[in-house]
Amino acid sequence: MSTPATATAVNTRTIDISATPAVPMSRLISVEIRKSFDTRAGRWLTFSILGITVIATALGALFFEESAQDYVSMLSMAGGIMTSFLPILMILLITSEWSQRTGLATFTLEPRRSRVVVAKFLAGIVLSIAVLLLGASIAAVGTLASPVNGGSADWNLTWDPIPSFFLGTLIAVFVGFAFAMLLRNSPAAIVGYFVYSLIVPTVAGILAYIIKGLEDVIPWIEFNTAQAPLYTGDFTLSGQEWAQLLVSGTIWLVLPFFVGLRLLLRAEVK
Amino acid sequence: MIEVHGLTRTYGGFTAVDDVTFTAQAGRVTGFLGPNGAGKSTTMRVMVGLTPATRGKVTIGGHEYRDIPNPGRHVGVLLDASAQHAGRTGREILTLGAKTMGLPSSRVDEMLALVSLSDDEAKRRLRNYSLGMKQRLGIAHALLGDPEVLILDEPANGLDPAGIRWMRTLLKGYADRGGAVLLSSHLLNEVELIADEMILIGRGKIVAQGDKKSLLAMDSTVSTLVVAEDNAALARAAQAAGHQVTEAGEGIRVDAAPADVSRLSIEHGLVLTDLRSGAAGLEDLFLELTADTQRETVPAPATGASA
Repeated sequence: MSTPATATAVNTRTIDISATPAVPMSRLISVEIRKSFDTRAGRWLTFSILGITVIATALGALFFEESAQDYVSMLSMAGGIMTSFLPILMILLITSEWSQRTGLATFTLEPRRSRVVVAKFLAGIVLSIAVLLLGASIAAVGTLASPVNGGSADWNLTWDPIPSFFLGTLIAVFVGFAFAMLLRNSPAAIVGYFVYSLIVPTVAGILAYIIKGLEDVIPWIEFNTAQAPLYTGDFTLSGQEWAQLLVSGTIWLVLPFFVGLRLLLRAEVK
Repeated sequence: MIEVHGLTRTYGGFTAVDDVTFTAQAGRVTGFLGPNGAGKSTTMRVMVGLTPATRGKVTIGGHEYRDIPNPGRHVGVLLDASAQHAGRTGREILTLGAKTMGLPSSRVDEMLALVSLSDDEAKRRLRNYSLGMKQRLGIAHALLGDPEVLILDEPANGLDPAGIRWMRTLLKGYADRGGAVLLSSHLLNEVELIADEMILIGRGKIVAQGDKKSLLAMDSTVSTLVVAEDNAALARAAQAAGHQVTEAGEGIRVDAAPADVSRLSIEHGLVLTDLRSGAAGLEDLFLELTADTQRETVPAPATGASA
């Protein structure tokens, strides 16, 4: 008891909170970022994402066809790896509070859970951008290195793919976040995410192949398929492609996000 | 300091906490006592907003917990010492708390010293901690923000006898300095020695509350355990005076006050080697009050009238 209240506290029934400022958002964010790195599992995850990117880029620099040893190819490969693994980072930010039961401490130190969610969200974005920038640098090094094998280090990056790649990664990260809030369990959310990102589009592709006419419907209801134009062609979306992204995104991202948020804000923390 | 009003929490058809009302005052240690599954932890989780109440309200220092800004600076909470990331070191767990609350890292060292966790132990990961070490760390975490109120769920669980004594001194001193302490336990003797006030809960309902004296006064049976050199003679004398007598261990139990038994022995010139009150202790009272809520069917209290 550091306050002078001590002397008279024996019969006090109230606590004076007027002099206590709330925990600032910046502090919550920095704590959330710290939590991603202060365990072996957390560090291991981030380093393996980067490690896999380095290995894949090195292989690309050595073995890609010469025509494909350009920066955009390197970047889309790095981006593909990031898009697969960054959501796990995001998922664990949320689910570990339940799976490791750290939520007891987290949500008693900041009982306004919406603030914790915002902090985690922003922490996840900061981490994702940092990892993405590292990924872009790795791809650049890969491009630089490509001449060792006869490539020409083609710096063909124009502006167009940048916002598209960025949007694609953000979508992946957001979907991870939504699934995590919805399930609040690490293995379930990670498996759920891979079912969404790997199995659903494959099944959709097979069904489209079997059933005539389904091909036109799928981009409207299958989010991964709707995102394909972000990574292919001229990397820009037509009006219809934007509409497809919006409609399928409502199903796979917006809906789980808000249902998950509502559940998380009310769920019992045990 | 902590005021619980008509708190109820149901899970489907099951009522875990049933219309619970009590107050934990500043400057006192309040023991929250009940068998496993009585609703202690649920009540405590509701207090700090981790579990929503079905009905009723809890205020701490006049505020709902979620309205307290930076609550770690006002209310220290330990609900489950194992509920921390197994891969974090003890020091890191405290550091995260200190950073959230905006405290300097020197505070972490102070708390580690207070709970006697060595530098070496603080560097170990939580999965390598014994339960007693986890409890110490949890208490350090609760005390980090120098709070006015402490809410501790089974804090003595896993502590060795020296650790329990240490905690008793710590909490007593904390209350003497004006803090309010609410601690739960399923073990009476853990609480009996430090609690100024006890709340007994069984199957979600409060069955009794008060200080030790007033709780003991609830036991109205008058009974004396006595050992005489000639037990048989004393028994005859007591029966002649109209008292019920039963055999009890080396001596006999008489349903009269110790003073009356002593008087009898003087009148009959009988030498006593032991004379004490046979009224049920707190433990018997506790078991009796929560008897219908126990998992095990408790045999009639050892010192009960039927002995």
